[in-house]
Amino acid sequence: MESLVLALFICLVLALITKYLSIPAIPFYILAGVLLGKAGGGMLTTNEVSYFFSEMGLIFLLFFMGLGLKPERIASNRVAVLTSGIIDLNINMIIGFMAAYLLGFSLMESLIIASAFYISSTAMALTSLIENRKLMLRESDTVIWLMVFEDLVLIIFLAIISAGNQNLVFFLIKILAVLGVLYALAHYGKEFLISILDRDDELPILFTFAAVLITASFSLYLGVPETMMVIALGVAFATTDPDAFEQHARPFKDVFLVVFFVFFGVTVDFSGGANWFVIGAISLLAVVSKLISGLLTGIFIHGSALSGLEIWANTIARGEFSIALAVIYGSPVVGTTIAAMVIVTSIVGSFIAKYSGILRRGIVNHGRHRALMRRSH
Amino acid sequence: MSAMALRSLNLPGVGTKYEFETDKGDTVAIFFTKTGSIQMYTLQKNCHTPSAAEMSPVEARRLGNILTGAIIEADQESVEIAFSALADLRITIHTFFVTSAVVGKTIEDLQIRAKTGATVIAVYRHDRNIINPPPTFVFEKGDAALVIGESDQIKKFEREIMVN
Repeated sequence: MESLVLALFICLVLALITKYLSIPAIPFYILAGVLLGKAGGGMLTTNEVSYFFSEMGLIFLLFFMGLGLKPERIASNRVAVLTSGIIDLNINMIIGFMAAYLLGFSLMESLIIASAFYISSTAMALTSLIENRKLMLRESDTVIWLMVFEDLVLIIFLAIISAGNQNLVFFLIKILAVLGVLYALAHYGKEFLISILDRDDELPILFTFAAVLITASFSLYLGVPETMMVIALGVAFATTDPDAFEQHARPFKDVFLVVFFVFFGVTVDFSGGANWFVIGAISLLAVVSKLISGLLTGIFIHGSALSGLEIWANTIARGEFSIALAVIYGSPVVGTTIAAMVIVTSIVGSFIAKYSGILRRGIVNHGRHRALMRRSH
Repeated sequence: MSAMALRSLNLPGVGTKYEFETDKGDTVAIFFTKTGSIQMYTLQKNCHTPSAAEMSPVEARRLGNILTGAIIEADQESVEIAFSALADLRITIHTFFVTSAVVGKTIEDLQIRAKTGATVIAVYRHDRNIINPPPTFVFEKGDAALVIGESDQIKKFEREIMVN
């Protein structure tokens, strides 16, 4: 219990500082876990309570992701979304996978690393667009829809790798069946659900919490992992009143997820057997690979490499989903690599996102300057 | 009017965007973000970098009041509502901080309705609102009065009742 209280206290301090400086908090939560955990004298240790909190964090993160997939959110500019999504997926998955495999990870480990490498942090990308006042830029729309696309890919990916030894087709049918049942429940119980959500006593929040936990617990009987169950619940609930569900689930997500990040950090062990070359190479490549996909997206969608630079700036940061992948499937070595990648990319990303305007102007001026120099000859 | 076409767009995870281009080719975009803040961007024609302002909901409403053309002063505000179905009836609601001229007097003494046509519909006093004050209501120092009427009546109220 003391570990949890200490962790919460540290998170509170870190949250205050990072919000004040408007920098992302996620890397610092992880770093705090790393420094106070195994790597740093074991002030924080994982136990049953922290394990439960962390699991809740993961479950609510995924429930939120499901809620975000509202059916009416099918983009009007489908071709652009699809093009940018496919560029992003291919470039980053391939570079991530090749790098991990060539650096000596097994096939499965390389796949996990590649997915964590591919998926940018939706939370950090959107916060960066809002806080750096970039919402009006045309690249912002591209970034926002890219995040939706990445979430969809992540769900498909989670479904495929969580099948384990089961027959994949049978497994996918089971997931679809669960989704169908939850959809039907949400559809036929819509009036009832909305009447519960409209109340201003403890019922809406209690219902939301219980619904998520009960659905997750069914995974034991159905052989469908918790992750898939709660995403499906989120998707089904999104057809009723997603904003109300987001509002009632947010307190749980916010608290549990922070604990999840810290205790993920605690399990990370940079001291024992960490290969700094591998970690450094993956982290560096994670920044470079998004630059390549960003530039290509900028050129294909907006006809400008400078636009690509802006897309890159806002998608460098890897975060919550990469860590979720590490926690669900990663071995300790994979976890350590992903932790380092998240810390490096999120810090570099927030910095570049903040100064991307200056970067762009710098490049434009430099280009003009060179053009003028050439003309004078 | 085609240039005024207002586009609204739902941005997943961010909020709602409203955008329109003015006749002169400038663009204004408003974002209601999920964090509760409101961001307004303006982009001048032929310019590439928009400028932005972030507002709280209260500030945004204030800006809205200014833009609708209602009278507004430093710490007083007013809202004008136009009913286009009723021969373009325009009703203004304005807040006034009471001046020494009215302190200690009742609404009846001041003959507010007879002199100006405007009506005091609420008074804010010590963090409380007194709705529909009776004619015998006595103004105190520090009160803020909410007055409703047509724009001319409100101006008359300001000139004749709130004189210093």
